[in-house]
Amino acid sequence: MTTLAPPPQKAPPQDVRRKGVTERQRPLWLLTPGGLLMVLIILIPLVLALWISLIDLDQYTLRRWVEAPFIGLGNYVESFSSGLLNSIWISVSFSVLSTIATVPIGIAAALVTQNKYRGRALVRAVFLIPYVLPSFVVATVWRTMLQPDGVVNHWLSQIGIDGGLWLSGPRSYWALVIVEIWAAWPFIYLLSLAALQSVDHEVHEASAVDGATWWPKLRRVILPYLRGPVLLACLLATLNHINNFTLPFVLFGAPAPDDVNVMPMLVYVTSFQSLRFGLSAAMAVLSLVLIAIPLFIYLRAVRLDVHEEGGRR
Amino acid sequence: MNSRKLTALAGVSALALALAACGGGDDGGEGGAGKTLNVLIAANTQYPEEFQAWQKTISDKFKAATGADVKFETFASANDELTKIQTSVVSGSGPDVYAVGTTFTPTAYSTGAFVKLGDEEWQKIGGKEKFNPATLGISGPDEQNQVGIPWVSRPFVMAYNTDLLKAAGIEKPATTWDELTQQAKQLTKGDQFGLAIAYKDNFDPWKFVWGMSVQAGNPLVDGKTAKLQDPTVQKAYQTYFGWLTNDKVVDPAAIGWTNPQAVAAFAKGKTGYFMLTTPTAINSLEQGAVKGKWKFAVLPTVPPGATSRPANGIEAASILSGDNLLVADYSKNKDLAFEYVKLVTDQEAQLDYYKKFGNLPANAAALQTLSTDAQLEPVTEAAKKSVATPFTGAWADIQLALTNVAVQSLPDLSKGSLSPAQIDTRIADAQKAAQTSLDRAK
Amino acid sequence: MSTTASAEATRLLPRWMLVTITALLCVMVLVPVAYILLASLNSDVGVASGEFWPSSFSLDSYSRIWTTADLSTGIVNSLIVCAVTAVASALLGTMTAYVLVRYTFFGRLTILRGLVGLQSIPGTLMLLPVFVLFSSAGNYLGLTVIGTRWGLFLAYLTFALPFSTWVMVTYLRGLPRELEEAARTEGASTIVILWRIIIPLSLPAIVVSGIFAFLLGWNDVLFASVLTRPETHTAAVALQIFGSQQEGGALPVYSQMMAAALICAAPVVLLYLAFQRYLVGGLTAGGVK
Repeated sequence: MTTLAPPPQKAPPQDVRRKGVTERQRPLWLLTPGGLLMVLIILIPLVLALWISLIDLDQYTLRRWVEAPFIGLGNYVESFSSGLLNSIWISVSFSVLSTIATVPIGIAAALVTQNKYRGRALVRAVFLIPYVLPSFVVATVWRTMLQPDGVVNHWLSQIGIDGGLWLSGPRSYWALVIVEIWAAWPFIYLLSLAALQSVDHEVHEASAVDGATWWPKLRRVILPYLRGPVLLACLLATLNHINNFTLPFVLFGAPAPDDVNVMPMLVYVTSFQSLRFGLSAAMAVLSLVLIAIPLFIYLRAVRLDVHEEGGRR
Repeated sequence: MNSRKLTALAGVSALALALAACGGGDDGGEGGAGKTLNVLIAANTQYPEEFQAWQKTISDKFKAATGADVKFETFASANDELTKIQTSVVSGSGPDVYAVGTTFTPTAYSTGAFVKLGDEEWQKIGGKEKFNPATLGISGPDEQNQVGIPWVSRPFVMAYNTDLLKAAGIEKPATTWDELTQQAKQLTKGDQFGLAIAYKDNFDPWKFVWGMSVQAGNPLVDGKTAKLQDPTVQKAYQTYFGWLTNDKVVDPAAIGWTNPQAVAAFAKGKTGYFMLTTPTAINSLEQGAVKGKWKFAVLPTVPPGATSRPANGIEAASILSGDNLLVADYSKNKDLAFEYVKLVTDQEAQLDYYKKFGNLPANAAALQTLSTDAQLEPVTEAAKKSVATPFTGAWADIQLALTNVAVQSLPDLSKGSLSPAQIDTRIADAQKAAQTSLDRAK
Repeated sequence: MSTTASAEATRLLPRWMLVTITALLCVMVLVPVAYILLASLNSDVGVASGEFWPSSFSLDSYSRIWTTADLSTGIVNSLIVCAVTAVASALLGTMTAYVLVRYTFFGRLTILRGLVGLQSIPGTLMLLPVFVLFSSAGNYLGLTVIGTRWGLFLAYLTFALPFSTWVMVTYLRGLPRELEEAARTEGASTIVILWRIIIPLSLPAIVVSGIFAFLLGWNDVLFASVLTRPETHTAAVALQIFGSQQEGGALPVYSQMMAAALICAAPVVLLYLAFQRYLVGGLTAGGVK
């Protein structure tokens, strides 16, 4: 990855030098506090986690964990027979589904709050409520609402539908998706709104509605502006969905129904209920690798390095 | 021998403290002054005020006796506590004394991070004899290797609605599971149901299955072998689920109930039996419509499908339930820790705790004083007929596997049908998980 | 932004669609919110039986909850830890982002990619290692980290940093460099430039990254539950303790739970309202095409 860095480097330094800053004055030391923290609290634990995934760490060896037997890839082999693939599938499908569903909602919300009107501030505030509500609050509330004799089933029965079970069995998957969508769409909304703001004023003028032609204009003029930001938003949102532990944990408890046994739940139960720390670390590392592959491809594809040309000018 | 040195040291530190203008003189306690003992216990949201008052009382008493402070840490749920134990074990620091649920004592034991109690330790806390012998059943794998000191016991019993039973012409609560099912059928009519059961609870279901199996002569674990794939276990699950699907003596909404919701349902006064409860529910029940119209009874002890217990069956009325106190091996305040344990297992402290929270004393003398209480009679009987769950580090996993069978069956239950074949597949999974865990046990 | 000048001209959808979509979204959001509010005023029995509109109103749970759950300690702790995290991560993020945007150096692209990549690490994987790290700081260096507020702060700060930096990177890209260069030719040091020019100019983005960092800390249950002691419990942990206390025969106390949920959510909602006008301006996601 780093070997690819040099080419784009060439142009900007000249640019910089022309404007009177020599390369020697680069204040790289400004990176140290942030860098140090990330190395200390993310990278070192990550390496530790990698090592844990290679040793047989469980309740019997926990006390002298430094001496726990090294078993190489044993944990990785075992994790495939412990329902890991199924959990990955549930996690990925749940996350992608949630992201796909939140995109149109988020963009629509951004479009309707773009132009100014009386009470817009209030509407914008309302739109962000689900996002700023702590996820344990969201989960607690929805768990209460989705109980078999809770308010959702109460309403459903009034229109003649038997609600049934939302928190167990196949339907729990959809409960998880619905609640996640409810809680997460404002993220897409925020990033779309930000992107809309950066659309040039003239473009806005040109695309303002003048009758029935709003859709072609929206599609051809405005939406292209949103593509990049929304793609990034989707990526970040999907990652957040995949790693969301609080929501399924509070909604369903442990052991979770098989249908919502998402990665974080499996890892949590394996490590903190079955006390198989080595195994759970191996599972988490595997899932991290699986997530990292598409992420890496995406990161290679987009030009993260747009140095000067982005934004407003 | 070292007392002069100590006094000198104390003098110097007192001087230092005074110089540092911290105020506060030397209270001259018994060597614990300035030290703090950390105790981990379960949070109590049911009686928050009493809980705080109790903490205060104990701290004061402890301070008076030793000069040291007690600081209480609380945990929310069994999961939370396990996490706490693990992180403390791995780091070799944390609370000095843990109040650990009986079923988690084997797990805690398996970490090897708690003090094994020799004669000396037992002496420090006032002798082994002061405890109700039954409560010592899950202190360790054998007499020589005990880590858990019984603190309180919470035997499981059932509660029944005296009015409803009388109206249905039932003279006394059932003593066999078949009889119970029969009575439940009699009790179910209109908006009234025979049994209240918390099917969605994460801790209840396995207790039924374990109880029925043990009564039929299968303790679920035999040395290093899991015995979940067994006719007794099948029969237990069939009975347990059958109340809802075949006998239809349970409110269908019970599929979504956790234990508190089942309490609430029974408290409305429309249910004959509330299947799995402890004396801690007394206050909740007295707040409901059922007030004054309910009684405790010992859970049936004759396995389903039988009229008398088989020869190898055990009269298990309840799991040996409650809390043990464990002293951490890494603790630097072990003597203080045992002082604390002694204090809270004294007759007086135990009775006080019972009055505030409804947990039965583990202290034999304290328990004796309660035996005259008619309301509690079935509970004290259940306490005596409590049987310890297998003492293995794998038990937490086995418990989880047994519960999982129930969790995964809920959707089928809500459809109203659950075939024996489906149950068997899930039991097979549980058996596999249990055996894997047992194979790893050391 | 400049778009406010001609509001009507920027309307992107026909009026009827504006109204319908706004109404639909508001209903979607507000119904559950209303439910929380109403349930907190309802009786436990009422909530249990699936009532939306309470048959009887009572403010009881709001007074009882303070003794049932240790919410006040939790909220104070959360506020302190999260506020410090928010400020620190926004400032550190600005520093880091400034270098990443304005200068080129070996490994820069790796760092940029890493900022996105780091967000894919699951918290459940990090929990035990972070705990081990913190506790060994206690054992070997004599520093007490676990159970202190600043231990929690360090963890949150680090987890918030990648996103904070990312927000700043995208914003700073759009910032013209003329001002800085003028200052630099006058001999201003980097610190002065950061403090006098960059930070005031990028205030909206700083607010955004601060808010995200704040939310991260406020939302976390996983780390807070093992890194804190009773006196350093966060609001999330206090609520979790309250919510998961299910064993032992207590009746379900829904209305107190809902009251607690509202109380825990209130500070964040207020915080957001206070900074709302910065929020959108600060999130200029224009950097990626």
